[in-house]
Amino acid sequence: MHSNLAKPRLLWLQGVTCNGNTHSFLNLHSLEQLLSKFELLYHPSLPALFSLEDLSKCHQKCDILIFEGTYDPMMQRDGISLEKWLQHYSSCARYVIAVGTCASFGGIFKASAPERSSGVLFDADKKSGPLVTIEQKVINLSGCPIHPEWLEYVLMMISAQKEILLDELHRPRELYSNLAHHGCTRNEYFEWKVDAENFGEKEGCLYYTQGCRAPMTHASCNKILWNDVSSKTRVGTPCFGCTESDFPRRDLFSTKTNMSIPVDVPLGVSKRSYLTLAGIAKTFHIKRLEGKLIDYKTVR
Amino acid sequence: MTTKQFVEQIEGEASIYFDIKDDKVEFATITFPHFRGMESILKGKSALDALVITPRVCGICGHAHLMATVRALEDVYKNSSNPVSLSTKAEVIREFTLVIEMIQNHFKWIYLSIIPELIKLTQTTRIQTPLKGAYASSLASKAIAVFAGQWPHSSYMLPGGITSDPTNIDILKATSYLDELILFFEKETLGVTLEQFLSFESCKDFASLQSDVGFIESTLIDVRMNTKGFAYDRFLVIGKHNFSKPSKMKHTRSFHVESALVKSVKPYAPQEKSFALNAVYKDDYYETGPLARSMSNAVPVIKNIHRRFKDSAYSRVMARVFELASLMQEAKLLLEKIDITQPSYNKPVDFSKISGSGVGVVEAPRGPLLHRVEVQNGVITSYEIITPTQFNIGSSTQENPTPAQKAMIGVSEAEAMFIFKTFDVCSVCTTH
Amino acid sequence: MARITKEERKNGIISAALKLFSEKGFYITTIPDIAEKVGMSVGNFYNYFTSKDILAKELLIYISTYLGENIRDINERDISTQEKIYEIVSMYFNMAEEKPEMIEYFLRVYLSNREVFSEGCEGMLCVSPFVTEMMMFFDDGVASSELHDQDFFSAFGLFMGYLGGMVFLFGEKILPQPLEWYKESISQNIYNALKSR
Repeated sequence: MHSNLAKPRLLWLQGVTCNGNTHSFLNLHSLEQLLSKFELLYHPSLPALFSLEDLSKCHQKCDILIFEGTYDPMMQRDGISLEKWLQHYSSCARYVIAVGTCASFGGIFKASAPERSSGVLFDADKKSGPLVTIEQKVINLSGCPIHPEWLEYVLMMISAQKEILLDELHRPRELYSNLAHHGCTRNEYFEWKVDAENFGEKEGCLYYTQGCRAPMTHASCNKILWNDVSSKTRVGTPCFGCTESDFPRRDLFSTKTNMSIPVDVPLGVSKRSYLTLAGIAKTFHIKRLEGKLIDYKTVR
Repeated sequence: MTTKQFVEQIEGEASIYFDIKDDKVEFATITFPHFRGMESILKGKSALDALVITPRVCGICGHAHLMATVRALEDVYKNSSNPVSLSTKAEVIREFTLVIEMIQNHFKWIYLSIIPELIKLTQTTRIQTPLKGAYASSLASKAIAVFAGQWPHSSYMLPGGITSDPTNIDILKATSYLDELILFFEKETLGVTLEQFLSFESCKDFASLQSDVGFIESTLIDVRMNTKGFAYDRFLVIGKHNFSKPSKMKHTRSFHVESALVKSVKPYAPQEKSFALNAVYKDDYYETGPLARSMSNAVPVIKNIHRRFKDSAYSRVMARVFELASLMQEAKLLLEKIDITQPSYNKPVDFSKISGSGVGVVEAPRGPLLHRVEVQNGVITSYEIITPTQFNIGSSTQENPTPAQKAMIGVSEAEAMFIFKTFDVCSVCTTH
Repeated sequence: MARITKEERKNGIISAALKLFSEKGFYITTIPDIAEKVGMSVGNFYNYFTSKDILAKELLIYISTYLGENIRDINERDISTQEKIYEIVSMYFNMAEEKPEMIEYFLRVYLSNREVFSEGCEGMLCVSPFVTEMMMFFDDGVASSELHDQDFFSAFGLFMGYLGGMVFLFGEKILPQPLEWYKESISQNIYNALKSR
């Protein structure tokens, strides 16, 4: 037992991964302040109290386990199976934070060994991962990779002993109740159904042909900007829906349509309502939205 | 006697099995334990999906993978008689973000890898400053994000150009991040201005530095790393960029290089299964990365160092430090070259009409990164990735060791562990 | 006896106007003609519609909504796409026989007097309920793999152009058989042209 004054002990453990979340975390502007609130037992690139070799003996205990990567029970780190690593460190931890879509749902690397791999709590959207019996401990931070501030939020909430409201997929509601669409600089083009004719343009919405999943994706990418600077949609890259349990989908740069009608419409909107509104919006030809914004003359 | 050392914090892990005789390494084999099967994951996907999947090979150099993919896909277009035309703007911006990712990598290597390793090796009491590395690389990431939306894991390059359409405001923003990074580099890392540092011509010029680079340089000399860690003195640069000149080098002599002659072969690792294949050029092992690039570019100070200390661990480390400085200057020049009036993207023929094969080669932080792809009606039928660490840190036989194996022979185990890290190991890339 | 509501009166005007427009033509029919037919004063008529053009647009929305509601009813049934095609053809032909003025209005007034509708009925504005339901129909058909994926308008034109053509021939009394007789073969033709390959 730790007294209230002791810093929570933090362990960052990896499954099958690319290290993307590790490196994204290093981008956190307040990294120093954050780390000062915890005792870092291990991190894949930062100096820490122990080495992986020390920890593989499973003699230590942690308060918070951060797990990055797909869970493959047979994978070994320092000769110890992930099954054993996860079992030991999750049982003593008060919280298990799955960072990234691989750890949350299986993600890209589920395909490495699909028959036995999953996220730590979910396998895609099914709650059948290894931590089912201690599911109340698990917080999923999906995203490929995570935004460092998402993790900062969770760790600071834990540090302040505040309650984190979770959605059905165990993601913090404050981060994932938004859609990636919220705050997109192309929103006006979406409203008036003006599609981007091509990649490489500031103008136009990427939902109609370029495959943008932002209206169907729970993420705050356009609210908490990436690297404090931008986001995929702001630089003309479609949202690939990387925070969702079905990532990676197929044909990521094109919108799936049935007879020119988008298969997926904005979350919570009925297709009939969407088509009614879209048909009407398309009727109006708004000059300002048709050309290059910079060429439009306000006074004619 | 055989000992096993477990190596951590190299973008994953590795094991080194040392044959020790009279306290010196007689031979070493290297194993990389983790396999992910990227190449089979890509099979059957739409060609463009590779632009999203391959950056996820690696968290630290994913952008290099993105660029290798886009080059490979553009090569498929070219080989199927549908060449893609790129605006200078798109080329310059791609190059800029690639260079910045390399800068990001080198900073992390200095502060999270080489300085801690030197402290460990010499058992000095110097305080580690990992957050300097994190801060510098986060600044670098901001400059990438201006054009690429985010770092890591952007997919903003695609056949025909890039998805972003920057304004002057964006370019000013990127310039300001870069300037801030240069100031940090001068103040915290170099101890002199970038201009002064880049004018260095001899390794003696480093002696006056009271800075992190000064510590690195003088400590390397103290532990005699200028006399250790020699590989073959053969270098390979394949990726074509403004900052690199493709070349195969034996000592200082330069030869023509052909990416088709690169192949991967099975590793030799009797103690443990390794999932990393060795990369060879024809049938020979070559060193790749900053030292190779600097030799091929005939960078005066690195040539001077090489003349004295050949391809020692010292030369390898200093080449990477110096490359960081020259890449900063290169990045500044690239930003000045962007003409925003040019198109970002020229739409090519729909990929579903394209079949053929292509190769994409870039210089990644650790050397040449090759992607080879075959596409049938827009669907990937085969994908091969060969990464720089496969060139440097394969595991081969005692008769024909890889550069890292060769460099570890004849030194103490502790020195060998340090020398291993001078290659800047990327475990995840190696076992994609 | 219950009073006639404003809504019922409005519907009365709509059905009278539809008949007159299709019998006499849009331009020849005047507001006094319509007022007389429903038995109201011209002054009172203007309480319902302020101009003939506005009436014309309201008629279009009325027909489009009627068609849309009928197709929606078919779309929501648990039947195959092939069966839905038959039901839509059937509904359309029944309408042509029972309420010929509606289809006539659509084909003769709307499609041949576009200038009347140039303001306020651009694009899909006034026909949206109908077109939206056809989109729902096509989307379901492709999603269930019964129809092949193609451009919406290629499919829409094939379906509605065909039906419109048949109703036109029927209206011109050229068809040797009643419309009913053609339902089966026409449904089959449409299905054959659209089905997945």
